[in-house]
Amino acid sequence: MSDSHHAPAMHMGLPISRAKLGMWLFLGTEIMFFTAFIGTYIVLYFGSVDATGKSAWPTDTHVTHLNIAAGGINTFVLLASSYFVVVAHEAMAKRDFSRARKFLIFTFALACVFLGIKSFEYYGKFSHDILPGRIPETDTQAIGKMELQVESRFHKRLDSVVPDSAITDVDGDGTSERDMPTDQSMVYYQKAAALPQLIDSAEGTRKEDYEALLALNGQVNKLREQIAGNKLTYAQADESLHGMVEDEQFGSILSGLHMSTPILYGNLFASVYFLMTGFHAIHVIVGMILFATVLAQGDKLSERWSNWVENSGLYWHFVDLVWIFLFPLLYIIPGNI
Amino acid sequence: MDHTHDESHPHVNYLLIFIGLCICTALSVVFDVVKMAPALVVFAVLAVAVAKASLVMTFFMHLKFEGRWKYIILLPTAILGVGLMVALAPDMAMHYYRYDVMQSRVVAPRGGGHGAGHTAEEGAEHGGETEAKEAKHH
Repeated sequence: MSDSHHAPAMHMGLPISRAKLGMWLFLGTEIMFFTAFIGTYIVLYFGSVDATGKSAWPTDTHVTHLNIAAGGINTFVLLASSYFVVVAHEAMAKRDFSRARKFLIFTFALACVFLGIKSFEYYGKFSHDILPGRIPETDTQAIGKMELQVESRFHKRLDSVVPDSAITDVDGDGTSERDMPTDQSMVYYQKAAALPQLIDSAEGTRKEDYEALLALNGQVNKLREQIAGNKLTYAQADESLHGMVEDEQFGSILSGLHMSTPILYGNLFASVYFLMTGFHAIHVIVGMILFATVLAQGDKLSERWSNWVENSGLYWHFVDLVWIFLFPLLYIIPGNI
Repeated sequence: MDHTHDESHPHVNYLLIFIGLCICTALSVVFDVVKMAPALVVFAVLAVAVAKASLVMTFFMHLKFEGRWKYIILLPTAILGVGLMVALAPDMAMHYYRYDVMQSRVVAPRGGGHGAGHTAEEGAEHGGETEAKEAKHH
């Protein structure tokens, strides 16, 4: 009844190495992973409409700070690295291990170049605050963000210049008569209220610091009232901020502040951009680890590593494939559809 | 098994493939720079992307020289991937409703009465102040 003696004769599975099969199955799941992102992106792109029903997705590169040239160069960099991997794999098959190592070094170097250019692009986004949850989408939000930024600079300066004792030591005898308020906004309020008294007792640059803060406090209060009363348009808010930054007395506290350009759906755009390019960059880093492992063998690189190079090569080509689609989808198509 | 090993290292002029890929990349940039109908640009750059992907998969990933197992592994995911896009189409392009009554874009009615039913975009067009003003009052 038993036919178990036939079992060892059977060759189960596909006519490829288990490692390669595993890599291809993994790449199958990766296709689904990135397809889900791309599908999500397309839905969000067309679903983010204006009142007319047309997509209002941000496409102006002056606003989104998308750098098409950087994306194009990165495409070339990844293609070149893919070429070097396949040549390295070929060299491994021919047992020319020093040649294989040379081309793997080229691949690794190009991966570094890719991440360098990507970091440069990310830096542009960070420096313009093109980040999820940081982009005002309407004029009102832009004005509100400006108010928060001015307040934040004011509070920071208040904290560094006015000591806590200005609140706790009311009579100035060195002992604390009052506790610090638990509410942080009350701390700022009380420190600002203590400024006139501090000015009277201070001298020199310290006195100037207090006077600048007092003047800025007046401006901040005025700004708050105007915004709460909804009396400022975007242009007026811009003018008002400009005047404050240029002010001789307290302008230095607000240096570098400027009004953000409102970008409708900008936060969705930033989320999608960082999600897709970020996950791709993580894949690049994983690929670099795979190549670094081979390169770490140095002169000991041998045929044993052939499968490793082939499979990391497959993975690397997939990373290249993803970028081949991300580049047109993120950089070129948005302004044209 | 030996002959499969040989097949996995076929002789391909990889440099030629690489040059082809570079030309394709240059083409996508040219399509972006040259003035042409937007729909045509989209079609052209996507066609170039598909061509590049095919070159990479066929030659760099050696799929041209692999056995039929490649279909077993790749077709299901490819079908599901395309299926995902197609399945999303009804909500994106085939819906009966107009966007200006889309539930998620409607601002909920507030105490003052005015502002009810306005979309965020309408608010933005009129200076965007209406919602904020009301929010501050409450």
